[in-house]
Amino acid sequence: MLGQRYIGRSLTRLQKTNRNHQFNSLKYQYSAMLTRLSPWVFCLLITVTSTCRCEEIIKFGRDIQPILANHCYTCHGPDQNTRQSGLRLDQRDVATSPSDSGETAIIPGKPEESELYRRLTSSDHDLRMPPAEQGSQPNQRQIELIKNWIEQGAQYERHWSFLPMRKPSVPKVADLKWVRNPIDAFVAQKLNQKGLTHSTEASRETLIRRVSFDLTGLPPSIAEVDLYLNDPSADAYERMVDRYMHTPAYGEHLAKHWLDLARYADTNGYQYDTEREQWAWRDWVIHAYTQNMPFDQFTAEQLAGDLLRDGNSRTRLATGFNRNHGITIEGGIIDEEYRTEYVMDRVVTTGSVWMGLTIGCARCHDHKYDPISQKEFYELYAFFNQVPERGMRGFAPQERIPSPFATKQTSQLQEKIGRLKEEIQQPVEINALIENWAESFSSNPPDTWLLLKPKSMTSSGGSTLSELDDQSILVGGANPSHDIYTITAHTNATELRAVRIEALTHPSLPGGGPGRHTNSNFVLSEFEAIAVSATNPNESKKIHFKRALADYSQAGYEVAKTIDGTVANNSGWAVDGPTRKEPATAILIAEESFGFEGGTLLQFKLKHQANFSTHGIGRVRLSVTTDPRDTYDLISVPSDITNIAKKNKAARSESERQSLEDFYTKHFDPKASLRTQLDSTEKELATLVPATMVMADLTQQRKTHLLLRGQYNQPGEEVHVGIPEVFDYQINQPLSNRLDFANWITGRDHPLTARVAVNRHWQRLLGRGIVKTSEDFGRQGDLPSHPELLDWLAISFIEKDWDVKALQRLILTSSTYRQTSHGTTDDYLRDPENTWLSRGPRFRLDGEQIRDAALASSGLLASQIGGRSVFPYQPAGLWMELNNRPGYSKAYPQSSGIGLVRRSLYSFWKRTVPSPMLKTLDVPEREFCTIRRSRTNTPLQALLLLNGTQFMEAAQFLGARMMLETEGSIEDKIRYGFRLVTSRVPTEPEMQILMEEFTESQQEMVEGTQAAIHHGNLVPLLEELPLDAAQLKGMTSVARLLLNLDETITKS
Amino acid sequence: MLPLANTETRRQLLGRASRGLGSVALASLLNHDLPAETADLESQAAIASSLPHFAPKAKRVIYMLQSGAPSQVDLFDYKPSLDKLHLTELPDSVRQSQRLTGMTAGQKNFPVVKSPWKFQQHGQSGTWLSELLPHLGSVADDLCVIKSMHTEAINHDPAITFFQSGNQQPGRPSVGAWLSYGLGSETENLPSFVVLLTNNSFFQAQPLYDRLWGSGFLPSKYQGVKFRSTGDPVLYLKDPTNSPEIARRSRLDRLARLNRIQSEKVGDPEIESRISQYEMAFRMQTSVPDLTDLSDEPESTFSLYGEDAKTPGSHAANCLLARRLAERGVRFIQLFHRGWDHHSNVSKHLPVLAKETDQGSAALLKDLKQRGMLEDTLVIWAGEFGRTVYSQGNPNSFGRDHHPRCFSIWMAGGGIQPGISHGETDDYCYNITTDPVHVHDFHATLLHCLGINHEQLTYRFQGRDYRLTDVHGEVVHKILT
Repeated sequence: MLGQRYIGRSLTRLQKTNRNHQFNSLKYQYSAMLTRLSPWVFCLLITVTSTCRCEEIIKFGRDIQPILANHCYTCHGPDQNTRQSGLRLDQRDVATSPSDSGETAIIPGKPEESELYRRLTSSDHDLRMPPAEQGSQPNQRQIELIKNWIEQGAQYERHWSFLPMRKPSVPKVADLKWVRNPIDAFVAQKLNQKGLTHSTEASRETLIRRVSFDLTGLPPSIAEVDLYLNDPSADAYERMVDRYMHTPAYGEHLAKHWLDLARYADTNGYQYDTEREQWAWRDWVIHAYTQNMPFDQFTAEQLAGDLLRDGNSRTRLATGFNRNHGITIEGGIIDEEYRTEYVMDRVVTTGSVWMGLTIGCARCHDHKYDPISQKEFYELYAFFNQVPERGMRGFAPQERIPSPFATKQTSQLQEKIGRLKEEIQQPVEINALIENWAESFSSNPPDTWLLLKPKSMTSSGGSTLSELDDQSILVGGANPSHDIYTITAHTNATELRAVRIEALTHPSLPGGGPGRHTNSNFVLSEFEAIAVSATNPNESKKIHFKRALADYSQAGYEVAKTIDGTVANNSGWAVDGPTRKEPATAILIAEESFGFEGGTLLQFKLKHQANFSTHGIGRVRLSVTTDPRDTYDLISVPSDITNIAKKNKAARSESERQSLEDFYTKHFDPKASLRTQLDSTEKELATLVPATMVMADLTQQRKTHLLLRGQYNQPGEEVHVGIPEVFDYQINQPLSNRLDFANWITGRDHPLTARVAVNRHWQRLLGRGIVKTSEDFGRQGDLPSHPELLDWLAISFIEKDWDVKALQRLILTSSTYRQTSHGTTDDYLRDPENTWLSRGPRFRLDGEQIRDAALASSGLLASQIGGRSVFPYQPAGLWMELNNRPGYSKAYPQSSGIGLVRRSLYSFWKRTVPSPMLKTLDVPEREFCTIRRSRTNTPLQALLLLNGTQFMEAAQFLGARMMLETEGSIEDKIRYGFRLVTSRVPTEPEMQILMEEFTESQQEMVEGTQAAIHHGNLVPLLEELPLDAAQLKGMTSVARLLLNLDETITKS
Repeated sequence: MLPLANTETRRQLLGRASRGLGSVALASLLNHDLPAETADLESQAAIASSLPHFAPKAKRVIYMLQSGAPSQVDLFDYKPSLDKLHLTELPDSVRQSQRLTGMTAGQKNFPVVKSPWKFQQHGQSGTWLSELLPHLGSVADDLCVIKSMHTEAINHDPAITFFQSGNQQPGRPSVGAWLSYGLGSETENLPSFVVLLTNNSFFQAQPLYDRLWGSGFLPSKYQGVKFRSTGDPVLYLKDPTNSPEIARRSRLDRLARLNRIQSEKVGDPEIESRISQYEMAFRMQTSVPDLTDLSDEPESTFSLYGEDAKTPGSHAANCLLARRLAERGVRFIQLFHRGWDHHSNVSKHLPVLAKETDQGSAALLKDLKQRGMLEDTLVIWAGEFGRTVYSQGNPNSFGRDHHPRCFSIWMAGGGIQPGISHGETDDYCYNITTDPVHVHDFHATLLHCLGINHEQLTYRFQGRDYRLTDVHGEVVHKILT
């Protein structure tokens, strides 16, 4: 990005042209240039040597196919629609028969007569292949290879990754001492062939750090290091590996890798990128790894957990995997267009993750390189096309299934809900309750409300307000879109506690009211009240309400919204006018009592300012009360009922008894408190157990068509589920649904599943897959560097029943893995990617690991497992600056406390604005499945680690930890910190530099040139500790250096 | 023994080397452990080494993206024919059962609404522009207005994603990332791809997303770096301890010393690379504040760009920043201005948006020209699609829906003919009648101006050689100089 690319590129090209011996005339210029480059570059150039394969048997798959695929298959490959002259070079029988032109491309044994070779070498521009316009051309060496191959008989073999695996015998190698397990034998054999030697074993400090990061994503603690360093047993290393495999952090770390493949995110992507709750699925993954679920089961549950014969809610949760794709809510989109995209995403993701195939290439046409036709693509598509879903807001199907880490809490809540429901079901002795209630009328009249007679009433919008006999106010006349009623009334009462608003019906109102809109509804945006002393008009008091009750509120328009201080976003009280058309009562309870001695003028404002026009209240009556209770009866009891209630029970007629019961049961719910409890418990459960998107199949299968050019609205022929022909391996049953697909993919004879899975673990542990293109095992992908080793590992994996931990144990305990990564710069330049494994792995840690390690070594890391995602530090404003549309946006809700310091896999992942910390460190956006991350080295990363709040805060805590957890000198404290971060003891020169930093930084503080450092929300915790401010500053500076060391952010 | 295939590249390489990039350049050379980047290192390098494919006319691009889709009917595409057609029904013969968005698909009538604003001709070229763009009128002779743009997407997300990456679905690299990958950088102190956002004030503005300047499947170092108008201009730029430069310098030296000790022990050249990235970070701590501090601009600058340019995060301020970035060698500068999505009340909203952007964009052209930079700077002003000539909702308070079949953008500067219009639309401003320019063609042309053959800038990902224009795109030669 920043200026140096050019030379890098050109030099790489030089390495390439190094093998291309046709431009000798330019030798002079080249050496002239070399003199201007540094000796380093010179080293790089002269160590590159070309390899000659002319003595070897040329293999189609290894040597020829990559050339043909790159330069010829576009027009002469598997895609029948773009095939020219009827010639396809990927099939021997076609290539060796006459094409449309009558010429034969390949005549085995006779390159000079083969049209392929003739065209490649023709000097006639019109005849030469590939056409110049195509761009890249095969070089001389490659053409030579093709010639020799034809000479040797032009033998074809099928692409290696589609061939069945055979367990190779373990090679016998001389260096028996080095060979700890068969992996080493395979590696040693290759090293030998390449004239390389293995490296010595890394130090114990290095090994434990390497293993700890690889199995937990975290650095080892000093106690763990000491335990291992002091373990004299022969299997100390193996025991150390086992210890890490049994930590909860192991499950989290492995899950982190899976989330990239699964394109997991906490938002829906696309335009508005609203939130989703899919974390229970993420927890399922952590749990599955922790339990060491066999990979075939892990696969089957995620692909078809809903269809398994012994499936349950847990296996259905697993299917969230294929619902993690983005989902749009953009107004105006065409439903089927997006539904199609979701299915495509599933097919492509499943193909990449389990088969390492780029089957998406066959969406629009037959695959250009791999033997997958467009029709076969849609046969696979048919498996995933059966979800009862939509394109627009396609969140269903969903199911509330608890996270495996929340099952206990969940079942407790479920039990409570069951118990409450049962209690609610219990019959009640209604007559006794009625009698109890009725008695209250004779002893203590319930209605303590003082009706207010309006003194003045005005409308801001020109409506007519008129008082009725019952002191209510009827609104008529003009019906403005927005209206504010100002009503005043006099009262002599003091110690008033609450205001009651009755929204009443009236025949003159639309539909009878209570609202003025044609649908009978109203929205009371805000209710305000001021009390003014009647004796001294200068004395007044705004009445603040602390609580609002209503006998009825429309969902989303709860009565509390009429006292929430805002009219924005339609905040207000409404009562379902369109369906209900009944009176409604609200009671607003004041924070402090009001009413002046000598009389009070109450002034009320009823604001109707929602975005819905003509939503005023149609008839309103106001009252106040001095009743100090905190709960009020919202029901006004009509006088005829009161009269009946006051009568002696025996004196009531049958019809009176009935009226009383009717009124009571209509307005009073004897189970109200139980219902409230039930309601809140259910809410609690809903929060704990979100609705996770899961897979399901339609009962009536959706027809699948081949889509011409991959377009949703251009269906071609109908297709049915099926497996591409290239796979010899099929299962012996008719295919009908995803479960059959899952069974097929987890079959022991599947040529790809185990190879691809094993390769990914290898990539994670050694830094580069045996097949480097871990996302592409097809013809365009790289060939395996150690093909026998790959197959041996894959078959062992299957033989051990897909045991994921056993596979890793095998790799981790090999001598190959245990090598030191130290070498000479020459070693690094000769084999920059460590393809041949002559040294141990060394590469920068993943973004999550870098952040988690800083938190761990500073002692801040929280160990809580699973649950809702959290919001660690990020610079303010990042969400709103991209999207500030009301209703569709919100500011980043940064966590406080523990949410700031949980492991990075719990960081809320917003696809359109990913965490800047993690994104800067190459965590992919997760719009799509990512099999292999890029690993870059940029100045923005340096800025983040130096200045980011998270890292600055960690440095302070690390500094404090160094001061508090060790006795002794400053040097001892620094040494301790160094070990916390790097797991080793610093050398003397390193100590000197760190001491300089400490002294200088502390001195600044003593001299008062700089204040103590205080960054981060958790710093107050430090202030309670007995720490010398200047020393803390010095130690923090040292910690900051430590957290920025290359060694700290590197697995070595 | 070690020949070179291409003298052009060799010359550039020599030039680079002699400028002495020293350890920084070396670091990049030795930057080996980048799996995605080194995937097919040979072929990637072969592609990159042939760049530029021919002599470029433009060295850099300033691209003012107008998100939400400005109305071509009311700004650029003058249609006196609409006077007669006003409030008549759009004939089916014109609409041709084109697919409509979910917002007007259910509408029973499609009344044509003419633009309520006057158009007039400007400059020697006689370019027609709406009265809403008075400042742009003053640079009309520098503009190439393309009236025949079209796209396939009918909604914002797919359309803007298409414009930014050549594909409607997310996942591909953005234009700027392709350029960073293909051409590298001209500056050692700033990123090669910078993004500037206007603070949005329109209540229904469409959101933006990081992926619009993302690197897709390219290594993430090619993604655009957002320069923000509040807080640190570049995330985490400022040292939170406020240490003076000298203290930061000595801290960095110590870090480098510690890393070098490790480097000697390990041998991994990546460590040297890390050291140089920290050096670059240090330089950015000076170069970025220097860039965003406008106090060295004379008052004449602000009379040119308007008083708005003094408000950080305004379109005008970003235009000025764009010029400053261009001066400092940034390759691709993209401004995002939101709020053009007027489904109702065009009469009220459009003048506001036009005013927000008009003076700044025109000033930028003038400013570049007076500094002699316009000839090698490609300037672009474009939305993601156009708007319908028919009214969405009531024709009196008319709105305009999304329209992919024709819309107008303008380009100016490096490699583009000044003072011309390209392409024509029918009397209804609904269909293109001559010289259609597809989004892929636009991309092909943009790359062409920078000396890149769009068919040859490729990147191997998942077994396929991807390019910005996918398998499409024709360079619009008619508008090139």
